[in-house]
Amino acid sequence: MLGVEGLSRRFGGIYAVREVRLQVEQGELRGVLGPNGAGKSTLFHLIAGQLSPDSGSVRLRGEAIDRLGPARRAEAGIAIVYQNDRIFRGMTLRENVMVGAHSRASHGFFAAALRTPRFRKEERELAATADAVLDEVGLGGQADQLADSLPLGQQRSLQLARALAAAPSVLLLDEPASGLRTGERQRFAATLQKLRSRGVAILWIEHDVRLVTSLADRITVLDLGSVLAEGTPSEIRAHPGVIAAYLGGPEEALD
Amino acid sequence: MRFAREHAVIGAALLTSLALSALLGESVLSLYVLLLLTAIVTVGVSVLMGHAGQVSLGQGAFYACGAYAAGILSTNGVPTLIGLCAAPVAAAALAAAIGIPLLLLRGHHLAFATLAMHIIFLSLIGELREVTGGDIGLQGIPRLDLFVVELDSPRDYAFLSSIALFCVIVLLRNILGSRPGRALRALSSSEVAAASSGIPVGRYKLAVFTLSAGIAGLAGGIYTFYLGYLAPGSFPVMLSIQYVVMAAVGGMGTVSGGVVGSALVLLTVDALSRVATLSGMPSVAPIIASYAVYAVLLVSAVLFLPEGLVPFVGRLWSRRARARSPEHADAPAEGASVSR
Ligand SMILES: Nc1ncnc2c1ncn2[C@@H]1O[C@H](COP(=O)(O)OP(=O)(O)O)[C@@H](O)[C@H]1O
Ligand SMILES: [Mg+2]
Repeated sequence: MLGVEGLSRRFGGIYAVREVRLQVEQGELRGVLGPNGAGKSTLFHLIAGQLSPDSGSVRLRGEAIDRLGPARRAEAGIAIVYQNDRIFRGMTLRENVMVGAHSRASHGFFAAALRTPRFRKEERELAATADAVLDEVGLGGQADQLADSLPLGQQRSLQLARALAAAPSVLLLDEPASGLRTGERQRFAATLQKLRSRGVAILWIEHDVRLVTSLADRITVLDLGSVLAEGTPSEIRAHPGVIAAYLGGPEEALD
Repeated sequence: MRFAREHAVIGAALLTSLALSALLGESVLSLYVLLLLTAIVTVGVSVLMGHAGQVSLGQGAFYACGAYAAGILSTNGVPTLIGLCAAPVAAAALAAAIGIPLLLLRGHHLAFATLAMHIIFLSLIGELREVTGGDIGLQGIPRLDLFVVELDSPRDYAFLSSIALFCVIVLLRNILGSRPGRALRALSSSEVAAASSGIPVGRYKLAVFTLSAGIAGLAGGIYTFYLGYLAPGSFPVMLSIQYVVMAAVGGMGTVSGGVVGSALVLLTVDALSRVATLSGMPSVAPIIASYAVYAVLLVSAVLFLPEGLVPFVGRLWSRRARARSPEHADAPAEGASVSR
């Protein structure tokens, strides 16, 4: 589904992402691990088109998408939940999520100004999609509330809902579980599994190693911008380089 | 239900404006027409600034562009109604043409670039004497002929401007509450997140810039037929700055803020210039007074009411309403509605 080849990006001469190769299949939940500054977020920005690489290529369903900007990549099926909160302030939860479903409707300024029948139909469908997705992430009752007033954990859920509203085929999650409480975490884990069973290819950056190893199909470990290791959770747990460089010793590795 | 209430408010505002147009005395009618035309432009500026995060200091040039398009066409034998329709189109076309390079710039650059455009536009009008009448002006513009009725008194133009303002408000509110409007509001909050939600940020900025220019052009077109005479001196750079001050004072991004801001600023300037032209005042007093009003209002808005007057009053109001009915304490906050 998503392929990354030899992707590199430097900031001021220092590689943030270096020669990264990655292949994620439909319905695969891929964990991405790595210490702070390993280049995980930069990798996601390169895939989503927010940053352009110095070299390398990103492919979606086998086609190179390097020339597409972020909006076109979103249309093509890539959705992202950012590490830092980027909710739309001054808008309700429902409106936030309807923006996520932007590509699923097509009416523009004229149809909206004149409230044409197509406009009304599309708006109804967008609102219904938004309400369904809000339910799915546990924000069902708050659709009319302003997004600004949400506590941090729910802002993350809102970002997830916004990404899901696009019905993406590739979902990039940059530490989506940080700030979630225990109940929210469980719901989040259930949502991930549901998405995987729907065939979404998910890349998931997460600091909670225990959570990743228990859920992910495969794990990629980044260090200093390069792929340090890739494999199933049990392979990663046993990988000597990972234990040494990242997990900090066998006793901290997971049982 | 909120939607129905909004419709009621807009409808009541239209009726009030029509009633004022019918009842106001001749002496204040010209001020009223000017106020309505200014409000039309400012509402567009307010949406541009509040929902696309752009400051245009060239809105007066789009107003002038619409005015001259209507004036030039109708003095050359084109039916006046077509001239009026051409006004917003010409202004929007100008905005689209310069918007493509301008929108690669941002923030202060866009402000300076549009300001420069205004100055260049004025000197072009002065130079192209054959077409525009140059500094002497374009004269002999016919009155607006709507086939069934010819608009020839200031009162007629007050009616027309009321209806035009009403249409602009309805169109803008329809847009703001829908897919393209949400896209605009989203990108003014986070361009990065808007883009990765599939919103082509540059195209939407260009669209709203063009739209606000078209609105200014429409007001300019009405102005042309109302006055029957055009000269570059009617479109000073101060005009562009005035719209921005009005939008900031009333509350950026709010449609009603555009109306309230223009009314407040225009009436204050008018009152002060009346005082300043009283006998015994120095001859520069009117100019100093009007510049001072802009400066004082803008500075105090930025310092004391950074969100603008209308959102501020709206918040006071909803806080009071909530205090009175505690069972509605978790009702959607004011601002949840795009209305205002
Ligand atoms: N916009 C930027 N400008 C300069 N340096 C950056 C920028 N973004 C990331 N970096 C650097 O790139 C490296 C990788 O950062 P990042 O991708 O955020 O890591 P991670 O998400 O794994 O914590 C860090 O050294 C960071 O300082
Ligand atoms: Mg990061």
